[in-house]
Amino acid sequence: MLRLPHFASRAVGAAVPLPRRAAAGALVAAAVVLGAAACGAGATAQDTAVGNGSSFVTGSYGTTVFQPGARPKAPAVAGTTLTGSKFKLSTDSGSVVVMNFWGSWCTPCREEAPALGSLARHFAGTGVRFIGVDIRDDPASAEAFIRTFRIGYPSLNDPNDLIALDFSGTVPPAGIPTTLVIDRSGRIAARIVGQASYSGLKALIKDVKAERG
Amino acid sequence: MTWLRTPPEAKPDAHAAEAADQDAAARDGLGATPEGHRDAAPATTPGTPRPAGLSLGVVGWLRWFWRQLTSMRTALILLFLLAAGSIPGSLLPQVGTNPVSVSQYYSSHPVLARILGGLGLFNVFGAPWFAAIYILLFTSLVGCVLPRTLRLVGSARQPPPRAPGNLSRLPFAVSYATPLAPDAALESAAKVLSAKRFRMRTGPGWVAAEKGYLREAGNLLFHIALLGLLVSIGLGGLFGYKADRLLVNGTSFANTVTALDEFHPGRLVGPDNLQPFTVALDHFSASYVTSGTLLGQPAAFNARIRYSASPTDRMHSYDLTVNHPLIVDGARVFLIGHGYAPEFRITDGTGRVVFDGAVPFIPVETSGLVSEGAIKVPDASPQGLGFVGVFLPSAIDVGGRLESYFPAPDNPMVSLVSYAGNLGMNSGPSQSVYSLDTAGLHELAVSPKPLAIGQSIKLPNGLGTLTYTGYQQWVSLQITYDPGQTAALWSGIAVLAGLLLSFMVRRRRVFVRASTDEAGSTIVDLGGLTRSDAAGGFEEEFAGLAAEISGLHEAHIDASPSTGNDTEETGRPGPEPHVPSDPELPTGE
Repeated sequence: MLRLPHFASRAVGAAVPLPRRAAAGALVAAAVVLGAAACGAGATAQDTAVGNGSSFVTGSYGTTVFQPGARPKAPAVAGTTLTGSKFKLSTDSGSVVVMNFWGSWCTPCREEAPALGSLARHFAGTGVRFIGVDIRDDPASAEAFIRTFRIGYPSLNDPNDLIALDFSGTVPPAGIPTTLVIDRSGRIAARIVGQASYSGLKALIKDVKAERG
Repeated sequence: MTWLRTPPEAKPDAHAAEAADQDAAARDGLGATPEGHRDAAPATTPGTPRPAGLSLGVVGWLRWFWRQLTSMRTALILLFLLAAGSIPGSLLPQVGTNPVSVSQYYSSHPVLARILGGLGLFNVFGAPWFAAIYILLFTSLVGCVLPRTLRLVGSARQPPPRAPGNLSRLPFAVSYATPLAPDAALESAAKVLSAKRFRMRTGPGWVAAEKGYLREAGNLLFHIALLGLLVSIGLGGLFGYKADRLLVNGTSFANTVTALDEFHPGRLVGPDNLQPFTVALDHFSASYVTSGTLLGQPAAFNARIRYSASPTDRMHSYDLTVNHPLIVDGARVFLIGHGYAPEFRITDGTGRVVFDGAVPFIPVETSGLVSEGAIKVPDASPQGLGFVGVFLPSAIDVGGRLESYFPAPDNPMVSLVSYAGNLGMNSGPSQSVYSLDTAGLHELAVSPKPLAIGQSIKLPNGLGTLTYTGYQQWVSLQITYDPGQTAALWSGIAVLAGLLLSFMVRRRRVFVRASTDEAGSTIVDLGGLTRSDAAGGFEEEFAGLAAEISGLHEAHIDASPSTGNDTEETGRPGPEPHVPSDPELPTGE
């Protein structure tokens, strides 16, 4: 059980329900049950670090929203995309940035991929940019994943975890998948650890987009 | 360490009986601890507030609760609970170590799993009730040790007690007449004792001397170090973490949660607390014994790595070997295992490359490092592909069975079983990357011929091709960070040192009284005692002192001092030849 006492954060219980779809994600359900049992399901964000015998850390589950005054600055992200082109994202470009850390081998990433793909299409041309960061993957598998889920936005290949490392000291991805919503001034407004839902992420993006830059 | 403290009144204490007979000086000299001992059960403790009724008040109840908590009985119960509480942790799958099994448990026993999960039994070591047990135990320990420590400080600073009235009642006693005047006799005796670095106290007609305060110092050291040990273990539990990472030759990773295979954080460790180092594996080499009875046993492992302590640091080279960890930014990186990762290139039915990389296989046998693993290609088209198989570093056909005769890669081959269908990775519980869930798959009719490097399997029905392109070695690394480790080590050493000191040093007292009897001659009484059961050596020391002092007094005494002979004369139960065990002693507890 892992808590992050350093952040002024709150869980957005209503806006972003934790993934509890009936049969789906028994592990997530387990973590939610455990989280509720251990921490009393209070008004603070509860993250459940799950070390994982299956050879990757599936993450701490939950959404953390940072109030405008308490948002950590996001680092500038640069790297090479899966298709081999150089990519640089200055996070204070005036756009809202949705950054998704994923891997083609990770079940919750595959489960959330359709939602992310359609949200990217939904917000296309409205000043919201999506960027993926592919973790512990081989590029061929990653490209196949992108074809399967018709992901339209670029993904950076991060074989050495350097992008994840750039976020250490701010709001590091606490598991795979992790989705960050970065506001127009380049500050991290929200983090979803674990599978993001279409409605929950959409509401978060809308809120941040509606803010005055 | 005795946490069960009996009050002096209730203790069947030979000394207590003696003290009642002795004058106040003797009681002062050998009395039990000033505060007395506390019992777990207040009902048996006169003078302790009884928990009956509401008359206790809030403070009374708090005091009662504190006494209960810091009693040995409670500590033992907590210790037992701690042990009993960890049992479900080994019987049931745990989220921390095996989340896949936990989710399987939830699928197979939904109702039971919900109840067990609600009780925290799938995450015992993170459960609040488990935390309650060890926090109470910790409090109990500290609450016991701290007041004892304070009392010990007082005890170590105590001057010797006044001399008892009747020295002949002491375990070691001599009496003789001297031509010297009483004051002169006392003065010379004091000189002798003082020269032997006894702590001195004088009064009218007596000299009291005590030695062996180092015992109290040792005792004090023991208690303080014990507190230090508890605190450092606590620190490690709160701020430390442990993680594992498998790293394939030629790749690198950063110490972030997403890059770790397993992560067991302390209670106050978050993903932002990890030391931001990077480790790249350049070359791993293992050598094995090539002859004799130890054939195939590992002889040496060496992982040539480069690391940087932070994103702004340059890369440093390091040779990582077994038991020779890399220490970076306080974290230790250990080399704990190794294996092979065969490399595959897989094209699907559309002709696209859908997989190209190394797949770590897990050794299932040590003499030949036969390893098992799975390759998953969920995004192959038209159907997902999956393979399970074995890697044989030195493959040999033994009567139609494939075996590996040596752990080194002399003849690296793989043997695979091919599947197609739904790998079940788009929903549901997370899977292990080392095994394939074949529920939604069907096996493909492929000849089970093992592959050598460069050979391919052509899948039937135009589903694609798999090529075994080579292999890499991998190492498994364990990252541990325990901020309390050094402190715990030194505390442990200090605990032992203190214990030894308090074992080996005896606190001993020598009293001298000089008086004039009816006949006008000076009678000198010498008495001695030790504060511990083990008087070994004091008999000789006392005899030596008595000889030296009486020599100065121009008197001659029998070399062997009398021990407790006065019992018959007085007709009362005299003192035991030893004093009751020292309640401050950290021994025998």
